Amino acid sequence: MTWLTDLRTAALVGTARHPAPPPPLELGVRPPEGLSTEESLLDQAALADAVIRTTRRSTPLDAANLPEPARSDDAPEASGEAARLLDLLLTQPPVGLELRNQLVADWLQLAGSSGRRVPHRLLPLLLSLAGTKPGVAAHLHPAIGTRGSWLQELRAGDSTSEAATETEWAELKSADATAQLEKLRRTDPAAAREQLDMHWDALGARERAAHLATLSINLQTDDEDVLERALDDKAKSVREVAASLLDRLPSSARASRMAGRLSPLVRVKGVLRKQFEIDLPSEPDAAALRDGIPPDPRTGEPDRLGRLDAIVRGAPLDVWTTTAGRSPATTVTLLKGETRVLETLLATAVLRADLDWVRALLDVRTDLRLLKVLPPAEREETLVRHIRTGAPNPFALAAPLRDMPRPWGSSLADAVLEQISAKNGGQLAALLADILPAALPPEAAGHCRRLLEGSDDDAGRRRVLRDAVQYQSFRQSLTEAFQ
Amino acid sequence: MGRWSEERVVNAAPDASSLTAARKLANPGPWSDTGSNDVLVWGKCQGSGKTPYQVSVDTAAPAYRCSCPSRKFPCKHALALLLLWSRGEAADGGEEAAGFAREWAQQRAERATVRERRQTEQPVDPAAQAKRLADRMALMDAGIEDFARWLTDLVRAGLASARTQPYSWWDGVAARLVDAQLPGLAEQVRAMGSDVHARTDWTDHLLRRAGRWWAVTKAWRMRDTLAPDELADLRVAVGWAVPTADVQGTEALHGPWLVLGAHRSDDGRLQQQRTWLRGPDGTVVVVLDFAAQSEALATPQLAGALLDATVARYPGSGQRRAMFTSPVDPLGMAASLGEGGSISQALEAESGAVAVSPWRDRHPVLLGGVRVCPDGNGWLRDESGDALPLVDAPLESLLALTGGHPVDLFGELEEGSVRPLSAVVNGQVVTP
Repeated sequence: MTWLTDLRTAALVGTARHPAPPPPLELGVRPPEGLSTEESLLDQAALADAVIRTTRRSTPLDAANLPEPARSDDAPEASGEAARLLDLLLTQPPVGLELRNQLVADWLQLAGSSGRRVPHRLLPLLLSLAGTKPGVAAHLHPAIGTRGSWLQELRAGDSTSEAATETEWAELKSADATAQLEKLRRTDPAAAREQLDMHWDALGARERAAHLATLSINLQTDDEDVLERALDDKAKSVREVAASLLDRLPSSARASRMAGRLSPLVRVKGVLRKQFEIDLPSEPDAAALRDGIPPDPRTGEPDRLGRLDAIVRGAPLDVWTTTAGRSPATTVTLLKGETRVLETLLATAVLRADLDWVRALLDVRTDLRLLKVLPPAEREETLVRHIRTGAPNPFALAAPLRDMPRPWGSSLADAVLEQISAKNGGQLAALLADILPAALPPEAAGHCRRLLEGSDDDAGRRRVLRDAVQYQSFRQSLTEAFQ
Repeated sequence: MGRWSEERVVNAAPDASSLTAARKLANPGPWSDTGSNDVLVWGKCQGSGKTPYQVSVDTAAPAYRCSCPSRKFPCKHALALLLLWSRGEAADGGEEAAGFAREWAQQRAERATVRERRQTEQPVDPAAQAKRLADRMALMDAGIEDFARWLTDLVRAGLASARTQPYSWWDGVAARLVDAQLPGLAEQVRAMGSDVHARTDWTDHLLRRAGRWWAVTKAWRMRDTLAPDELADLRVAVGWAVPTADVQGTEALHGPWLVLGAHRSDDGRLQQQRTWLRGPDGTVVVVLDFAAQSEALATPQLAGALLDATVARYPGSGQRRAMFTSPVDPLGMAASLGEGGSISQALEAESGAVAVSPWRDRHPVLLGGVRVCPDGNGWLRDESGDALPLVDAPLESLLALTGGHPVDLFGELEEGSVRPLSAVVNGQVVTP
């Protein structure tokens, strides 16, 4: 190949500065006489072109580079209308993108339950979509079949991302380490706690605080030791995290210490024992300071109400029922006048997910934070009652509605649709635009259609309702296609 | 002319937005007076105006007419009508074409006959014709001499300095070639202007291209000594087109023709469609269609389809360009593309083709039992362990369709890489 190399060099530099190489006589070339050096170089370039193109050889490729062929699919391919609909959704969605993703997920679920699989040619598009849309990715199996899983493995093999092992964890950057710990905490809480415990002394104050906060995921009584020790930490931020987590463990030693502080402060007074009397706590001693009760400020009056709050948050809720000698529901009615204490109790009950107290508090306060704790059926019922009884703030209402499992029950659907179609319902409609179509049960489609037909000039509201109707009718076609 | 499939309608759309608009119109609601016969589909579509738009489609040509002001062809109304017709939801039968459709068809027929008459009846003036040819030859000769001089200048100054030139430098050379009626060379030079920056192997690429161009200039000077086939190949290389009228009457090769595969490309100025066909005796030809940016290309043929049509070939050697000389009737789908060869056989065939016609750099190959390997841009490997890299390949789609199993695959061999156009999976020809 030296001839080719010479030729390339001469061509790059130019024949003005570098002569053309002699033609390759070993190829049997006899160049004509009297060529200029440019002509000779161009002649040889033409020769090189012809030689390379006529002597091209294939590259041998080791069979080890080939992927193991996919096993054959057991499930029959979705065909006809079903395949056409998926093709349409993936290539030319006739609906908005949010709805499209929801409908693709629906298609996958329907295919899975009727034992059909995605046609092979649509797999790449589908997997690309699932790569960015977790809502679609969650329903890929079993509808994508053997071929789909095979393709997924092949894709995953390209981007090798290995989970960090324990020894590596200590070397991660602090934000990554926190994320890793959160992940582990979700699957194996005890292992995450041990990992943190092992590296505790080597960590800086900020890292200790951030890592300790991850214990809030799957918090359990076993975590108490670590948290109790963290109350003695040098850093205030760590102590605060530990105290706030211990607030959620009513059976902890700190909680009983708090109970000891709270009991003398509260008593029931009056002949009919219908009112609580609550004293403000005195100056905290060393043990109280350790438990996270705020100390006296250097200047100004101490925040004694703040101290009371800290004690209420930390103490078990039983203190109140024992003092009153009544059930949580009655105890709450006795506390009616004490708005600040009631507010603190509410936050505490929500944090601890104490169902008795949550139900009791719901009777006197319609606070939507309480809803999250309730089981779905009860939550839906309460939400309906809440919507029916007052004109709730749409911003406060949107969050719990988004949290509700979908599709909703028909009573909730009707209640929400009434809210939306009311005079100022456009705002709520806009807030729920992306989830409403899938949240409404099929029975509500008629209601939507009627609302849509009623004249209305709020464009946002019309769009939401139209989406809902479109979604239901497309879903209907999907269901029929899979029958 | 049979009813179109929905896929065929989709492929006739000029762009995606027209199709989306058409899908919205593709329900019987706005339509009235629809009907169809062997060649025409017609209907009226109620738009936003008072009078409905009159839509007529000639499915044989195909040609479209609509009274709407849209500048897209076919417009959304025509597409919607075809969609309805293809689904059998409207325009089913109808004894007599609606007035407006018949009128249009007649106008078209008249115009065609007038054009034909003008062509055939025009008195041929041999003297004028000879003069025109001589003028053209003089122009091309001068252009080739100019180009050869530019090539010697190029290598004297060196390829490295050519790379520092702006795109306008290459474009200027290309423009001079166009003026000299050498558009084939002009296109290659223009492509080189971007290739020298886009390709990592630009030195070799430019060196070899310069060599090939040099060979073209030399071949052109001795064109009187070339065989007719060789001259025809050279004409293609420099871009001296053969008028279709000169091809039409020369031969009529009968089908059924099997569609091996098709490729569409779009360089921003021109859309091109190549359709590879194989005749009953194994002759492989390629049908080329061109369209400007805003126009729709001729309806593509599905890979694996058997077509009843007669074909005439352009002059040249090897797998020649061809054109349909009769209406194309799909006969059905083939279950396979035939016996495929190995990769080394394909490369040998390419060597042979290059030896006959050194100007061409694209060769059809049918490979048997190749597996897809997802390294880099992808590879094809046959049973004996030989491999070729893929180019322009939708790798994911190929893997999804083949599942890593050996398949027969048709593609275009280009500079040592394969552009896959169709594959046979489970007795079905599929397009990746």
